[in-house]
Amino acid sequence: MEQPRAKTGWTEVTEPGPGRPGFGASDRRPRAAALRLLSTMTQAEIKLCSLLLQEHFGEIVEKIGVHLIRTGSQPLRVIAHDTGTSLDQVKKALCVLIQHNLVIYQVHKRGVVEYEAQCSRVLRMLRYPRYIYTAKTLYSDTGELIVEELLLNGKMTMSAVVKKVADRLTETMEDGKTMDYAEVSNTFVRLADTHFVQRCPFVPATENSDPGPPPPAPTLVINEKDMYLVPKLSLIGKGKRRRSSDEDATGEPKAKRPKHTADNKEPIPDDGIYWQANLDRFHQHFRDQGIVSAVANRMDQTSSEIVRTMLRMSEITTPSNAPFTQPLSSNEIFRSLPVGYNISKQVLDQYLTLLADDPLEFVGKSGDSGGGMYVINLHKALGSLATATLESVVQERFGSRCARIFRLVLQKKHLEQKQVEDFAMIPAKEAKDMLYKMLSENFISLQEIPKTPDHAPSRTFYLYTVNILSAARMLLHRCYKSIANLIERRQFETKENKRLLEKSQRVEAIIASMQATGAEEAQLQEIEEMITAPERQQLETLKRNVNKLDASEIQVDETIFLLESYIESTMKRQ
Amino acid sequence: MAGNKGRGRAAYTFNIEAVGFSRGEKLPDVVLKPPPLFPDTDYKPVPLRTGEGEDYMLALKQELRETMKRMPYFMETPEEKQDIERYSKRYMKVYKEEWVPDWRRLPREMMPTKKCKKGHKSKKAKVTGQGTSLTNPADVLKKIEELEKRGDGEKSDEENEEKEGSKEKSKEGDDDEEDDAAEQEEYDEEEQEEENDYINSYFEDGDDFGADSDDNMDEATY
Repeated sequence: MEQPRAKTGWTEVTEPGPGRPGFGASDRRPRAAALRLLSTMTQAEIKLCSLLLQEHFGEIVEKIGVHLIRTGSQPLRVIAHDTGTSLDQVKKALCVLIQHNLVIYQVHKRGVVEYEAQCSRVLRMLRYPRYIYTAKTLYSDTGELIVEELLLNGKMTMSAVVKKVADRLTETMEDGKTMDYAEVSNTFVRLADTHFVQRCPFVPATENSDPGPPPPAPTLVINEKDMYLVPKLSLIGKGKRRRSSDEDATGEPKAKRPKHTADNKEPIPDDGIYWQANLDRFHQHFRDQGIVSAVANRMDQTSSEIVRTMLRMSEITTPSNAPFTQPLSSNEIFRSLPVGYNISKQVLDQYLTLLADDPLEFVGKSGDSGGGMYVINLHKALGSLATATLESVVQERFGSRCARIFRLVLQKKHLEQKQVEDFAMIPAKEAKDMLYKMLSENFISLQEIPKTPDHAPSRTFYLYTVNILSAARMLLHRCYKSIANLIERRQFETKENKRLLEKSQRVEAIIASMQATGAEEAQLQEIEEMITAPERQQLETLKRNVNKLDASEIQVDETIFLLESYIESTMKRQ
Repeated sequence: MAGNKGRGRAAYTFNIEAVGFSRGEKLPDVVLKPPPLFPDTDYKPVPLRTGEGEDYMLALKQELRETMKRMPYFMETPEEKQDIERYSKRYMKVYKEEWVPDWRRLPREMMPTKKCKKGHKSKKAKVTGQGTSLTNPADVLKKIEELEKRGDGEKSDEENEEKEGSKEKSKEGDDDEEDDAAEQEEYDEEEQEEENDYINSYFEDGDDFGADSDDNMDEATY
């Protein structure tokens, strides 16, 4: 059974304990058992966070991160004490986590700084490939690399991003060509204008005449209008290739790079202004994509284009968590259709009427002025997508007859046993079997309606119903478990074949260096034969399996996104 | 309300037919153990989606995984000592850029204290000291030459290779000199570093004793 998602709250349970006087920070540590009840995170999520942190940042950061997720907000020394890690390492780990927006800090009374982990943000690390690929589709390679650098580094100044991306792009270009900083800057500005990147909260400039000791931690602020404001920089320059650098010693092995590069001495023009990727904006884009493709599947290309246009017009005007977009008039929509689309106004009106009449209710009509006012029902659309996901899962796990029963109960809301058999036209015994199977897996639930106050079972109605919100939560929990299993299996497969993988890497390195120094074909052949045919087979199988597991992770994450969006949208309306 | 069970006879409180069993029929066995770990599935899962986007994201994911391991944010756990020091390990170490966070954005307690850095340095020195003791016989002459050239408290470049980032070393070097109270700790460090035969500050007559150690930073390391 899924663990209850209680509202978060870290209450201080003061525990004087035997012989422990004083007001040290350690005294305010609540009992571990009490915390488990208060934590919002299920075991599956914590396990997944642990695997993600370990893969991306190593075991030390994982230990600190998971501890914070489990126990809530804690000060520095308590973390060090509870995890048995040295203070130095805890500090470094916290710096890394704060840099990547996974942990925030807060100053409490008496100057104690406490650190809190953002579990849901840790889970976003699964989605990094999707964010980067989306940036590529919208803003091509330059945009892709900008978002990639921001995600890999947590936060960066604009000048640092531009320089790094220009260097990376130059590496991939033909000899002699370089990437200009101006072009990268332009793409960066476009990303900021469309809100895909945003400024991080910053340290406000304090006057020098501030008396007293400095605060234990800075308070970071940001206001809405500054969030997408690009500083006026004149970044002039071109990307540099690593090979043709201007330093004296060329052809050095990487490990002996000189300690200082010339750039360290230059002042940074936008010092202190950091940028991060705006994940909410990406999520809005994914949601829009989901709605458009759903309409395309259900109706046709033209309808989906109309819906896409409406969503595009609402991008800036509608907040991302609104239940429906601002009303758009048919005239406005007609004017904003993409240039290539030649449909007449009347045809557009017909399409809009069709969309509004569709039982899925993606589009609703909210008025008649301006040729008809239409809105997109975002919340309903998310609900439909979540429901479709549930139906699909039932179908694939239990078969199409079960799916028929499921859809039936969904449609009729509450049904008795007998009614299910009649409506679904499935024999009684099988229908019961299927209902109980779905009941045991919590896709369907039972609603009791007593006829008499004593709730006697023989005189009670038992109605089958689908509670979409709780079924979605159950499925989400299963998704987290699935991904954790996928990651563990992938790590296991890689570990099993570690020796073989290392051998193949060494052989590749040897071949590459031999090719560079111009070796003969026969010699290369000889080296390649160091890996025997059965070993090659093993490597092929390993690669295929790892690819499959990785691809599965990405696709399960898409389901997670859908379900999380729906749950979030529903919770906001309550 | 539990009360009578019909005087010893089993009688259901509800209509048994509603659940699907006729009266007197054999009820299914009670399940006495948890469900199997890998139950048989009646239906095979749907194959994964393929396409250009999916392929690209897959390649991206694998690339990101590798890249993250090489970034300075990935904190390596110090490995257990291997029984034999592998020669190839020295040359397979990946060069990692040192990352310094923006201290203005972080609580003041995040800054590494001088004492801790000393501990760090001496720990590192110990490790490298043990590392070089095995190769000392092989590179004795080369080391003498280089230490002559440097003529300051810096270690030789081979040891620099093994450190995570020479930048941090230089930073610590700066802090060493600035720290008044560090003299005692510096002495401890010197003691601890005496694993090899070489004194760190090897100097000939006429060389300045570590005075312009920082100015020599711009020289290329070999």
